[in-house]
Amino acid sequence: MVSTVLNTDVKQKDSEHAVVVAVASRAVFEQGAGGDDGVYAEGMAFPLLQALQKVNKRLLEENSAESLLFDIVLITTDSQQQQQSFHLISSTKHYGLEVSRFCFSTEEDFIENLLQNNVHLFLSTDRHEVSQTSQKGVLSALLDEYTASCPSEQLRVLFCGDAVIRPGTNQTPASRQTAQTFSAQLGKMRQKFGISDSPLSIALMTSCGGRDSCGGALQTLRSLGVSADEAYCLAGAPRGPILSVLRPHFLLSNSFGVLED
Amino acid sequence: MSLNNGQSLTASGQDLTRNSSSGRAPWEDARTVLKPSTPTRKPKPPKPENAVTIAVSARVLFTMEKEQQIYEQQGMEEYIKYQVEHETEPFSPGPAFSFVKALEAVNAQLRELYPESEELFDVVLMTNNHAYVGLRLINTINHHQLFIERFCMTGGNSPIGYLKAYHTNLYLSADPVKVREALEEGIAAATMFTPDKMTEVSETQLRVAFDGDAVLFSDESERIYKAHGLDKFFEHEKAHENKPLDHGPLKCFLEALGKLQKKFYGKGQRMDCPIRTYLVTARSAASSGTRALKTLRSWGLEIDEALFLAGAPKGPMLEKIRPHIFFDDQMFHVEGAAEMGTVACHVPYGIAQRVPKKGISNKETCSAPK
Repeated sequence: MVSTVLNTDVKQKDSEHAVVVAVASRAVFEQGAGGDDGVYAEGMAFPLLQALQKVNKRLLEENSAESLLFDIVLITTDSQQQQQSFHLISSTKHYGLEVSRFCFSTEEDFIENLLQNNVHLFLSTDRHEVSQTSQKGVLSALLDEYTASCPSEQLRVLFCGDAVIRPGTNQTPASRQTAQTFSAQLGKMRQKFGISDSPLSIALMTSCGGRDSCGGALQTLRSLGVSADEAYCLAGAPRGPILSVLRPHFLLSNSFGVLED
Repeated sequence: MSLNNGQSLTASGQDLTRNSSSGRAPWEDARTVLKPSTPTRKPKPPKPENAVTIAVSARVLFTMEKEQQIYEQQGMEEYIKYQVEHETEPFSPGPAFSFVKALEAVNAQLRELYPESEELFDVVLMTNNHAYVGLRLINTINHHQLFIERFCMTGGNSPIGYLKAYHTNLYLSADPVKVREALEEGIAAATMFTPDKMTEVSETQLRVAFDGDAVLFSDESERIYKAHGLDKFFEHEKAHENKPLDHGPLKCFLEALGKLQKKFYGKGQRMDCPIRTYLVTARSAASSGTRALKTLRSWGLEIDEALFLAGAPKGPMLEKIRPHIFFDDQMFHVEGAAEMGTVACHVPYGIAQRVPKKGISNKETCSAPK
C-alpha cells in the first residue's frame, strides 16, 4: 500500500526534467517522539537537504524558469513514523524544507514505488535498505556519520573512481543506466555555475589504482558530461583520513556507497 | 605495450590505446586519454605512515609561468580553458623537479638494498588546481616518467587537512600563504623559488642544505642578535654552549633524512651515501658554532658537513655544494642563493619575518610572523 501526500507549501517540480532524489525520512529527522510541539529534531541528512535546496536556489537565480532542479521526496516505510505522518509533514514545513511530496508505503512496496516515480537517486542511513534498492536497479547511496558533519552551503558529491572504471560484477545494465543518467544530470547542473563559488562540487576519488587509473576515471566522467572539480588519487593510502577532510554528503560507487576500509 | 611519447589523447580524440579488459559496457569504456606510463611492473607506493612523504605543489614541480600569467590577467575561466586546450602538452620541469628525481634515485637504491621495506620517500602532488587540469598534470608526470602515484587536486580548497592525512614530512609550494598555514599546523614547509639559472646537480646523490637558526633550530638566538647585536649574541651562545637550542620547523625533516641515511650505513654505504646533508650557517666555527653542533648531537642527529660562514654570503658556498634544495628563513639568503643557481626555499618562521635584513624584497616584510 502506497500513499503520496503533496507538500502544498512547495512548488511542484517539472517531472520531465527534475532530478528526483528520494530520501528516507528517518535520515532527515531524529527518530522517536517529536518535541513538545510535535516537531522532530534534525537528523543526519539535514545538512544534505539544505545543500540540495541551496543548489536549487542558485539554479533559479541563474534562470528563474529553470526546470533541471532537485525534486526531493521523503520516503517513509517505518510504520511508526507513518502513524506520525502528521508530525513528519508539519516538521518539514516548520523547517521550511523544500520537500515536494511524502511517500508512505510498506517495505515490500516501496521499491516498486521508487521505480514507478522515476527516482534518480535514493539516499538512506539503512544499509540493508540501500542494498535492496541498489539490487533492483535504483541508484542508491548510504548516508553515514560523515554526512552529518558536512557543510550545508555546498552540495559535495563524491564519485568513487575504482567503480567508475571497473564496476562490480553484480551491476546490471539497468543500474549502469541509472548511474549514467544521474551523472549526466549532475554534470549538466554543475555546468550552470562558474568554476568558483559553485553550490555544487563534484569530486572523484580512486582508492586502489595509480595515477593512470584516476586519469581514466576523469576521462570516463567527462564522457558522461561530468567535469570533476576535485580529484584524489590515493594509490592504496587509507581512505578514512582523506574522507574526513573531503566531507562529501554522499558517495557514488557500485557497492551502494559503502566503502570498506 | 610500448612507451610511445607521441601517444596521447584528448576527450574528443581517437582511442589510440585501449585497455585490454573485456566485457565492459560502452559508457564505461575508459578511453585512455593518457600517454601510457612505464609498462614495467611499478612498485606499490608505501603506506603514508611508513614513508617520508614530500608534498609538492604543481607550480614548483613544473613550470606553469604562462598559465599563471593567464590566470592573473584573464581570470579563472580563461585559465581553465587554456589548460584543457593544451592538455596533451606536458609542462616543463620546475624548481622542485631535480629534487624529486633525486628522491626517486634514492628510492631505487633503497629498494635494491631493502626490497621489502616501506621506509622510502613518497612524493605526493598537492595542488589547489581544479581537476580540469588533472589530465594535463597526469600526462606531464607520464611524459617525464616521474614516480608520483598520489595526488590531491583540491579545486580551490585548502590543502592543509590533506597534508595531515598523508603524514606529510615536508611541503613545498610557491604560495607563501599556504606554507605559513602549514607551518602553523606543525608541518615542515617552505616556499620554493625558481632560480635565475639552474646549476647542474647530482642525479645519484640527494643533497639537502639547511640554514641553522630558525630552520633547524628555533629563532631564540636570532632574537638576541636582533635585539642586542653581535657581541651580545656571541656572549650568549658561549654562555649557553651546553644548553641545546629549541627545535625549529625543519628539524623533523632532517631527522627523517637521518633515518634513511642509517639504512645505507647499515649496508656499508657511509662514505658515498646517496643522501648527504649540509648545515650552512652564518654562525662562526670559533664561537657560536659549537652550540649548534652540540644541539644536533643532543638530538641524536648527524649532519654530514657543517659550514660556518661567520656572516659571509651563502651563495658561493652553495654553488660549490650543489644541493638539490636549500632552506633558509631569511629572504636575503634565499635570493642570494637563487642568484647563483641554487634551488632555494624560504621558511617563513621566526623573528626574521618581522625585522627584515637590508635588501629584502617588499612583499616579505608584510608577512605575518609565526
